[in-house]
Amino acid sequence: MAAVSPAYAVTYLSLDQAQALMFPGALLTPASKILTAEQVAAVEKGSGVRMSSPQVQAWRSVDGGWFLLDQVIGKHELISYALALDASGVIRQVEILDYRESYGGEIRVPAWRKQFVGKKSGAPLLLDDDIKNISGATLSCRHITEGIRKMLAVYATALAH
Amino acid sequence: MPPPSPTDRTERARPLLGTHVAIRVAQMAPPQAHRLIDAAFDGIAEIHRLMSFHESGSDLYRLNQQAAHRPVQVDAETWRVVSAAQAFSRASAGCFDATIASTLAASGLLPCPGGMPIPDAGADWRDVELLPDHHIRFRRPLWLDLGGIAKGYAVDRAVEVLRQGGAVQGCVNAGGDLRVFGPELERVHLLSAATSNTMPVLEISDAAVASSGGDGMHFDGVTRVGVDRRIRVSVVALDCMTADALSKIVLANPGLAESLLPQYCAVAYINDPHGDADNGWRTIAAPEASSC
Repeated sequence: MAAVSPAYAVTYLSLDQAQALMFPGALLTPASKILTAEQVAAVEKGSGVRMSSPQVQAWRSVDGGWFLLDQVIGKHELISYALALDASGVIRQVEILDYRESYGGEIRVPAWRKQFVGKKSGAPLLLDDDIKNISGATLSCRHITEGIRKMLAVYATALAH
Repeated sequence: MPPPSPTDRTERARPLLGTHVAIRVAQMAPPQAHRLIDAAFDGIAEIHRLMSFHESGSDLYRLNQQAAHRPVQVDAETWRVVSAAQAFSRASAGCFDATIASTLAASGLLPCPGGMPIPDAGADWRDVELLPDHHIRFRRPLWLDLGGIAKGYAVDRAVEVLRQGGAVQGCVNAGGDLRVFGPELERVHLLSAATSNTMPVLEISDAAVASSGGDGMHFDGVTRVGVDRRIRVSVVALDCMTADALSKIVLANPGLAESLLPQYCAVAYINDPHGDADNGWRTIAAPEASSC
C-alpha cells in the first residue's frame, strides 16, 4: 500500500502551444488590459459572473481575432483555459490548458490490480502518485461555462471597440 | 514531418457533454496527433449537439417536444443511441430506463423546461416506438434523457475516429467515463466514497470504464425508487456506452446485473462504504467467470 498525494493535475497545453494550435501561423500581439471599475461592473452585470481580478489576459491576431486566457476556480479544482474569438467576437475554439484537482486529506492506494478482457501483463504494478485517469469523480464544466460567459462580456465591454 | 517516437504523447481537453473531455494519443508525431484529436473532438461536439437534453436545437429536444404528437425523424447517430437504450431496457426488463426523467418531472423532482409538454407520470421505455427511416414516436408524452449513454457513445465514436486515423494507443475520457485502446495497459483509479481513504487501481487495455452513483441522482426504472446515494459503481466493459448503461443497472439492481454482466463481457466494482468487504469494495461477475 502506498500513500499518495490526493491531487490530480494535468497540463494539456502550454500557453505557446495553445496559441500555435488555435492561431496556426498567425502573429499574436499581447493586448492585455486592466478593466476600469465601471467595465468590471458592466461585465459582472452582463454575464452574472463575478470577476476575481480586473486584469484581462488577451492577445490580438493580425486578422482581428482574439486569444483570451482565463482561470476558473471550483470547490476542488483550478482550471486554466483559452478562448479563440474571430474578428466579430464569435467563439472559434476552447481549449483547457491545465487542470488541477484536490480532494483534501490523504488517500491510500491499495495494490489492487485488476486485468480485463483477456490481457495479460507480467509486470508488477508499481505504485506511484502519477494518477492519470480517475473514474467516479463528478466533473462538471459549469465553471468553464461561466468563465466563457464572463469572457464574452469582457469582449463586448472592453475589446470589441 | 518527424517520425513518431515511442515517447510522443499528445493530450488535450475541452469542455463538452457537460463535463471535461480529455483525449490522449501516444506514439504519434504531435502535428498528426493534434489533427486527429481535433477530428475526434468535432465528433463529440456533434453527438453533444444532437443529444443534449437542454439545447433547443437538439434531436432529443425535438423528440421530447413533438414525438408524442407525431413521428419525428432524427439523425442516424441519435437513432443508434435510442435503439441501444431500448435494447438495454429490454435486457434489464426496464431496470435501465432512459424515460425515467418523466416520473421525476411529474413528481416535481425535476424542473420542467419551458416549451416542453408535461410528461405522463406512468410513461416508460415501452412507450418509445422505433419506426422505419429513423423516425421515433412516443405513445404518451414523456421525456427521454440519453445522458450517460450518449456520453459513452460519444467516447466510443471518438475512439473510432482516432483509430481510423491511424492512432494505435490512446484514451478518451469524458469526466470519468473513459475508454482506452492499444496494446499498452492504462491505469485507472476509482474514486471511493468521501469517507473512504482508499483508491483502487484498475489496469485495462482495449476496454472502457464508467462510474455511476454517489450522488442521489439515480433511480430503478422498475420500482422508480431512488438508489442509495452512498453506493458507487464502476463497470469495465468492451465499449463505453455499454459500461455506462450497465453501471446504472448494477447501481439499481446488483442481483439482476450479476446475470447480465457476463453477457456483455463486463465486470462491476461496487463501493458501499458500509459494506464489510475489502475497504467497502466488492466485485461482481469477475472476468474468469465470464466467457471472455
